Amino acid sequence: MRSRLAYCLLLILSSFAACRKDDKSVFDLSPDERINQALSQYQAALTAAPNGWEARITTGTGSIFNFHFKFNDANRVVTYADIDTTSSGTPRESSYRLKALQQPALIFDTYTYLHMLADPDGTVNGGDDGTGLQSDFEFAIDTVTADSIKLTGRYNKTKVTLYKATPAQEAAWQNGGWRKALNFQYLGRILQYFKRLSWGTNAYDITFNNQQHTITFAWVDNSGNPHRVTVRFYYTSQGLVMVTPFTDGAVTITSLNSGSWNAGSNTLQVQVNGVTQGSIAGAVRPARVDLQAPRRWWQFAAQQDSYWASNNGFHVNGVDDAFHIRSIDNFAFLILWPAYGRQSGIIYDLLGYIIVKPDALSLDFGSAYIPPTFTTDGRIIFREFGTLGDVPAAATAAFENTNTQMIEARGYYLVQTGATTYDMVSAKDALAWISWEY
Amino acid sequence: MMILKDNIQMKHILLAGAFLLCLLTACKKDDDLGDIDNIPGLGGDTWTPGPIDNWIKDSLTVPYNIAVKYKWDQGELELNRTLVPPKEEKIIPVLSSIKKVWINNYVAEAGEIFMKRLCPKFFVLVGSASYNPDGTITLGTAEGGRRIVLYVLNDFRIKSMSDYTPSDSNNVKMMFHTIEHEFGHILHQNVLYTPDFKRISVGRYTSNWNNVSDETAHQDGFISAYAMSAPDEDFVEMISIMLTEGKAGFDNLVNSITGTSPNGTTAEVAKDKLRQKETIVVNYFSDTWHINFYNLQARTRASIVALIK
Repeated sequence: MRSRLAYCLLLILSSFAACRKDDKSVFDLSPDERINQALSQYQAALTAAPNGWEARITTGTGSIFNFHFKFNDANRVVTYADIDTTSSGTPRESSYRLKALQQPALIFDTYTYLHMLADPDGTVNGGDDGTGLQSDFEFAIDTVTADSIKLTGRYNKTKVTLYKATPAQEAAWQNGGWRKALNFQYLGRILQYFKRLSWGTNAYDITFNNQQHTITFAWVDNSGNPHRVTVRFYYTSQGLVMVTPFTDGAVTITSLNSGSWNAGSNTLQVQVNGVTQGSIAGAVRPARVDLQAPRRWWQFAAQQDSYWASNNGFHVNGVDDAFHIRSIDNFAFLILWPAYGRQSGIIYDLLGYIIVKPDALSLDFGSAYIPPTFTTDGRIIFREFGTLGDVPAAATAAFENTNTQMIEARGYYLVQTGATTYDMVSAKDALAWISWEY
Repeated sequence: MMILKDNIQMKHILLAGAFLLCLLTACKKDDDLGDIDNIPGLGGDTWTPGPIDNWIKDSLTVPYNIAVKYKWDQGELELNRTLVPPKEEKIIPVLSSIKKVWINNYVAEAGEIFMKRLCPKFFVLVGSASYNPDGTITLGTAEGGRRIVLYVLNDFRIKSMSDYTPSDSNNVKMMFHTIEHEFGHILHQNVLYTPDFKRISVGRYTSNWNNVSDETAHQDGFISAYAMSAPDEDFVEMISIMLTEGKAGFDNLVNSITGTSPNGTTAEVAKDKLRQKETIVVNYFSDTWHINFYNLQARTRASIVALIK
């Protein structure tokens, strides 16, 4: 009985519903028309900035980059970026469009500086092959206000805010202000291992990574302990600013303004914290030598009756694997085995070449050195003892050149770069070095 | 009891019928379709045509009905890969090279009609390579004889460009290798080659091809490692490498095979297999498509050499 009543009710209800012929939408326009309306509003907003837009992008890998975009109403956009000296000084025109994807989206649809960050080719941006720096060029439009547009990358979810640029901001790109800030890029031309930042009485050895936007400061404190700190930075039109300031006791660096680059002496003038004049230049020895490093390095492996390994051999005059040891057939890696063996009463060190054999790695041949000399000024010197095993004919050049480099008379400084990693740098000119890992 | 149950079921059916009727009548409405000539769409698929758009229209779309999408459209590409659009300055050089090396030569040997009928109608251009999880990269793909995706445009440099270095010739050859390869697929998907081809290297096809060097593949009677992946790939790799390397290049490749492969194929057997495959390809072109393969090969190689030497 109850179910029959329910059926009757349903029947009445459905016949009422069936009668409602009025299908007016809540909105005046259809969804398509409203989407197109939104897109044309965004289009108008993009082109309404007479001096273009400033944008700062933090990539998925954490590096920060600045851009300047100027959109016109014919799907063209002119871009500057602080990626390198070209992108910061030469405008590049490419195309863009607004399109309704799942949300209204701004797509930079042909290649421009922005795509260099997202490029999956690691040689373009220093990121990993296949992912690049995990950045975006297709953005969902979140909010549009009179002077800012918030965007979210559709692939890597990069957050970007475009701010309407002032005439001064635009001029900083057009007049080469940003281009000058990027002078830091020239630090890559310094071939010495040690790149010394010095101002007043202060000096630090730095490692500058322009692709990742990081600086590593290395120094030895008054008690002789080595320190290493890596800080991230971003560029401004003046120079670079540390994301977290670098501090060492009383010394704090928040920014480095970029001055002129001297191509003759490979020296960059800088202003530390915007005021103090300083410079960055190549150096043949560390700002302060870690006196104990050679012995520490040697004994670490000797005590464990083990070895230090290097994948690429010597870097010389700006060339990785300068002696082409990686071209030796089936080469795996190079080892330095302190106190490897005893012959004629001499306990010798061995620089061994590890070769891949079908079922194992094998130490086939190497150069032997008499026990090294540790100098009081923090160098290690190797002297030749002999050759172990038979050097294949095809490997002779690589073998001889590496050996000649090893027995360099001035010896080497050791720089500890991690818990079990050291760089061994030629004390003669700091132009040759080899990286050891345990 | 049984009767009662049937009665209830009957009522259910009747009621359901009544509802259905209501629903049907509810649908009857005088729906005006509106102005069908002016459906707004979602927007964003048109733009102000520039020189590149005009070039594509005049050189490819009008004569061959080929569309080229060079602007970024994620919907055309794999959704799980990091890719970037091409540089604008690369597009016309790439497309005009494709026209010279691929379209013009086929037209000269097989006629306009052949090309208009069979050419893939849709090209998608990508700036970077597509990086696969196994460490290899994809340089091009084709689907259904209609759509070809070309990658790595941003590294395309020919000798007329100021920053050309001889090592760039490899990229150029790889691009034509890709196109001739994919066009080969279209040909055999229209008319299949003789089954004799599949018997030449039967039992040697493997999904492990990417761990085999080209040299080892040659020793096994394959023209490239990728040719080992399947008979169809073998067939089109033969076509594409013979066309892009030219007759002298192919003869040189075959004659330089020495040693015995890990599978025990001797150099003599490997050379013989490659020659058998060559014969089948040449006959397939003349019997099926009335194309003199050696003429096409000479023309194609000459056009490539003109770009890189």
